[in-house]
Amino acid sequence: MSNKLSEPPTDGELVLRARKGDDIAFGLLVERYQRAVYAVAVSVTGRHEDAEDAAQEAFLVALGRLDECRSPERFAGWLMTIVRNRSKNLIRRESLRETDQVPPGARSWAPTPDRIAETRELRDLLEKALAGLPEVQRQIVLLHDLEGWKHREIAERLELPAGTVRSHLHFARKALRLALEEMPGVPEILRKVQ
Amino acid sequence: MSKPFDRLSGTSDELGRDMVLAEALASLDPATEDPNYWFRFRGWVMTGAAGELARRRLMAELTVADVLDSWSRTLIPTALLAAAMAGIMLVRTGDAPRERHIGVEELLVSEVPRETVVTLLSDDDAEGVVMFASDDF
Repeated sequence: MSNKLSEPPTDGELVLRARKGDDIAFGLLVERYQRAVYAVAVSVTGRHEDAEDAAQEAFLVALGRLDECRSPERFAGWLMTIVRNRSKNLIRRESLRETDQVPPGARSWAPTPDRIAETRELRDLLEKALAGLPEVQRQIVLLHDLEGWKHREIAERLELPAGTVRSHLHFARKALRLALEEMPGVPEILRKVQ
Repeated sequence: MSKPFDRLSGTSDELGRDMVLAEALASLDPATEDPNYWFRFRGWVMTGAAGELARRRLMAELTVADVLDSWSRTLIPTALLAAAMAGIMLVRTGDAPRERHIGVEELLVSEVPRETVVTLLSDDDAEGVVMFASDDF
């Protein structure tokens, strides 16, 4: 247990509390990992709508199987495995169903002015650029450069050697820069968005 | 043609993040368009999790005494019923005719009145009766 009140509870503590149905503890776990879970989901599915579904499903599956999490302190890594699997299952289901394609970036909420349009354009271009990377590189670059996870954290949670994480990150960034530079209009959009 | 990536390549934060890429990748964050996105996302997950969390709370609140109590509530009537059924079966077994092994000779004369020749030869009974003597003296 955390000795000091100022210290946030560890994942292990929150998992043990959530196992007993503590909704505050589970809510904290959701808050702590929702962005990372989404990042991994979007790195696998490549689409916001699918990533959103997979991320939500992953949390619910994790709660249902919380007793199977043998090392509560390693909850994050366990959760990332679940979200990867859920995302892959979702893609498989989607490809079987062959539903109408929702245009990437389509949102139900009302857009706000020009910047949103530019951001959407950039997002579409980024999704295309990311699609050219291997899945593991997409995960690493999103977790590192979008979510701000450290190499060590990524290595631990994706169960990869730290050196491999650095190497994947290096190649992912290089490939992403190259892809974005070659896409017409990206430098201008980036300049506007920055 | 100016290239922002060239211009800013090598710029990184304290975590070693590529700031230009981070800036570009930030457009993938749904909160860039909807600042309340993550708050709502948490709400969706919590709504979906409410049932499972309630079930877990219920399981966690059950003490050993509760478990024993629930068991006893089931076990005692079952044990009583089993005992009653066993009693009934025992009583029925007591009433039932017992099996008896008998030989062939005994079977042939069973239910035949064991009367002596003397009785059979009495004047009253022997009238009009043809009788063969048996070896039952």
